[in-house]
Amino acid sequence: MKRVLAATTIAAVMFSVSAASLSSAHADVVKFGIIMPFSGPFAVLGKQAKEAVEAFQKLNGKTVNGHEVQVIWRDEGAGDAAKTRQFAEELILREKVNVLGGFALTPDALAVAEVISEAQTPTVILNAATSIIPRKSPYFIRVSMTAAQYISPLGGWATKNGVKTAYTMVSDYGPGIDMEGEFTSSFEKGGGKVVGKDRVPLNVTDFAPYMERALQSKADALFIFAPGGAPSVAMVREFERRGLKQAGMKLMGSGEMQEIFLPSFGDSVLGAISSNHYTESNQRPENIAFRKALNESTGREAVPDIVAVAAWDGMQLVYETVKSLGPKFTGDQAIDFMKKQTINSPRGPISFDPKERDIIQNVYVREVRKVDGKVINVDIATVEQVRDPWKDNNPNAK
Amino acid sequence: MTQLLTILLDGMSYGMVLFIISVGLTVTMGLMRVVNLAHGAFAMIGGYMATVLVLKLGVPFLLACVLAAIAAGILGGLAEMTVYRPLYRKGELPQVLLTIGLCFVAIAALTFFVGPTPLPAIVPAWLDQMVDIGFRLYPAYRLFLIVVGGLLAFVVWLIIERSLFGARLRAAVDDPQMARSVGMDVSRMFTITFVGGCALAGFGGAIGAGVLPLEPFYALRYLVYFLIVVAVGGMGSFRGSLVAALAIGIVDTAGRYIVPQFGGFLLYLLVFALLLWRPNGLLPPKSVA
Amino acid sequence: MTPITQNPPAAAVPAQSFKPSMLWHALPWALAIGIYFIADGYHGLGTNIMIWILFAVSLDLALGYGGIITLGHAAFFGAGAYCAGIFAIHVNNDPLLGLLVATLFAGLLGFITGMLILHTRGETLLMLTLAIAAILYEAANHARWLTGGDDGLSGIRVAPVLGLFRFDLWGKTAYLYTLSVLFVWFVIAFFVVRSPFGRSLDGIRQNAKRMRAIGTPVWWRLVAMYALSAAMAGTAGALMAQTTRIVGLSSLELLTSGVVAVMLVLGGERRLYGAFIGATIYVIVQDLAGAISPFIWMFVIGFLLIIIVLFFEGGLMGIIDDVVNRLKGRGRKDQRS
Repeated sequence: MKRVLAATTIAAVMFSVSAASLSSAHADVVKFGIIMPFSGPFAVLGKQAKEAVEAFQKLNGKTVNGHEVQVIWRDEGAGDAAKTRQFAEELILREKVNVLGGFALTPDALAVAEVISEAQTPTVILNAATSIIPRKSPYFIRVSMTAAQYISPLGGWATKNGVKTAYTMVSDYGPGIDMEGEFTSSFEKGGGKVVGKDRVPLNVTDFAPYMERALQSKADALFIFAPGGAPSVAMVREFERRGLKQAGMKLMGSGEMQEIFLPSFGDSVLGAISSNHYTESNQRPENIAFRKALNESTGREAVPDIVAVAAWDGMQLVYETVKSLGPKFTGDQAIDFMKKQTINSPRGPISFDPKERDIIQNVYVREVRKVDGKVINVDIATVEQVRDPWKDNNPNAK
Repeated sequence: MTQLLTILLDGMSYGMVLFIISVGLTVTMGLMRVVNLAHGAFAMIGGYMATVLVLKLGVPFLLACVLAAIAAGILGGLAEMTVYRPLYRKGELPQVLLTIGLCFVAIAALTFFVGPTPLPAIVPAWLDQMVDIGFRLYPAYRLFLIVVGGLLAFVVWLIIERSLFGARLRAAVDDPQMARSVGMDVSRMFTITFVGGCALAGFGGAIGAGVLPLEPFYALRYLVYFLIVVAVGGMGSFRGSLVAALAIGIVDTAGRYIVPQFGGFLLYLLVFALLLWRPNGLLPPKSVA
Repeated sequence: MTPITQNPPAAAVPAQSFKPSMLWHALPWALAIGIYFIADGYHGLGTNIMIWILFAVSLDLALGYGGIITLGHAAFFGAGAYCAGIFAIHVNNDPLLGLLVATLFAGLLGFITGMLILHTRGETLLMLTLAIAAILYEAANHARWLTGGDDGLSGIRVAPVLGLFRFDLWGKTAYLYTLSVLFVWFVIAFFVVRSPFGRSLDGIRQNAKRMRAIGTPVWWRLVAMYALSAAMAGTAGALMAQTTRIVGLSSLELLTSGVVAVMLVLGGERRLYGAFIGATIYVIVQDLAGAISPFIWMFVIGFLLIIIVLFFEGGLMGIIDDVVNRLKGRGRKDQRS
């Protein structure tokens, strides 16, 4: 019996040694480790990112100048920051990834800041939207958006289009509070008045009481924000069902009006206004190519969202980096190179603020309309090259 | 005053959904003494089934809900005969874990086969409108939930309080050993009750999808609410679960309306206090009272 | 007496007389120390596993030995984590001091809530533990100024252990630090469950009425065990906070309570070492399955749970016992009697 156990121990030892040596064997493989949720309530984000990355590699090949770009996925689950950090360590130390990326939620991105600083690993944020994140480590660069950025044109647009009073209803967490602040300031700058506000806990899905409060406020418009998934779907449905639309209230939102969610609402969402940095049905050649690649790769009529487009651009960034710097680069070299890039993204031209390493992009105000029997977003106004307003308002916040 | 009535209606419709889903859980937990954390999964599967029927096959909403109930019932019956039956002899911990395991499998399966996005609403147009109820316009769907919930409560009451099966069921809940020793086929009764409970859950998941949106995480997201209904009402108590579900719906809604910052907090604190005061719930059956 | 079984009878006489069989207790620790030297890049994973082991052992004390059915043990894990994090940020960033404060805080919380709820049993108790965790979750969510709310508590800085060993990126310090803490707690747990106090809990679990009748202060014994278990869970949470330097609301979630119970049953309850195997397997399966296809691990864990509960009641440790006994040519039942 003792011999068996000894054998097991030796086997375990051998296994870990061989695993450790294997991972450092291939020198001309560039590894891109992506941490996104594939299980739990935010699983849709991981799925979207993965489909976009696979479509990208199918279209552009898995190699750049003969160097294979290998994507390694990890499931951060139901937003567990500690686990995310552990995955980041493991990807850096064990898999020896050259670039790290992903992060659906702000806490997950914040959790890895210390790790990537110490390991000097360039890290591409594919979703997390709280403004402060890139300031937490010099190795962060963001290709997604900040909450304040993609909502900034909405308040101004509203005051110019007959909306005098508004009620705000946001999820009670970082991006929600950023959005509430940005919408309120831009709306009041334009002469509007916010007559009431609610911050709804993230785990709530019965919005009846909140919508009732909004209805009683008799505001001209309701501004909402909730992360994608059950909460935002329930929020919009309750808006329709409770007759806020019939009462003449205009629905204004952001991420929840993405095309991917529109089928969950039905036709009564028609006319809703949203502000976003990616309009799924735009006719740019880059977008048409993107959607074609996505359809071919998934074998169905796939609807991309902001995570898909961020993952697509993130891959572009990594490919460009390998093309110019080769398969071996330091974190500083990679970040220096990446932040100078300008990409013709499916969402429009994007670039980076070199000091903040945060994205600069167009933001579109859209209306939900029915076109050829399909419910989609149609651009009604464009604000070009929007920086993150929060950073300009808070130049020294750490 | 009209505000108060609105809160009451909102709370009641929400509570009715909780009741339809949870009543099966309270009866099975009372009868079989099984801590069944997979109950929400049956509601979820019912909801998914109805959605697929309505959207892919064009089945009318109400018929789809009934079919979903039947499907959830059959699935429940199969589960009872295979994995639940060996559980009755075991302790609470194995029960908790096996049923969590079922939840995990259901969540993974639906994520894999249907996808992680929330499902579209299937509430038909005739329900998805506002009706005048005297003092205001009010969503027809919510009134419909209250009516259906009331009707179902009445039917379940008839079965439990007025039928022979119900009399046996109550006897078995109150004193399972005695029931067995006077020759009742308790094992068959378990299966029938479990099927009924799962069917109701499936129906509730389908019909209540407008209040509790369907997504793969449904099974765990709302589980705490279903369990609270059972614990507050008193395990095995039909009337208790009705009272508890309505009370929870109203308290939760009122809390969120009046003090939105402390909505969730309030409910849990009240549940905690109530269970300390009455550990067996509001209206416990005789065996534990 | 066979050497391998960890059944209480096997160790009824605490370490007074040395037997060769006791060397087996050194095995997991030797393995842990061995892995430290050979597994570069795996220290983070190892630390994580040990923290979950500690958490699972704490649950074993309450649930396995105390018979206290709970689905809210994350309350103490999370309380310990937040306490350690907040203490490090606002008061003092010495790790050992933080660990001590967090442990005492979680223990006190366990003591107070235990006094309130431990006169109930079964499903009511289950719901009460669940409610406590939910209340703490909501409280942490609302106290954004203190806990960071949904964004998580970040910005935790931890000083070197004993002023000498810095927490490095490679996680070597964290690994040894966690291992030492786990060892200390394990020794405490080991002797507690074999003490007269621990034996009396065996009696309470099997027949509370009889124990009460022979004059055992049942309620106080349960409260004491619950508080001890809570303190231990708090240590686990504090370790998580100190080694990952972030605390999220998920540390207080129902899922966290569920996962730790899953680990315990996977390994086998009331065995202490069961927690070791269960936590290790769970984390590694999650790691491996996650690497193959992230969709798979929930399937795998779900099926594993169903099969374990239906066919292998003692968990994986139970299977090991069976195999060992069969090799010895004796039935397991004979061992127990």
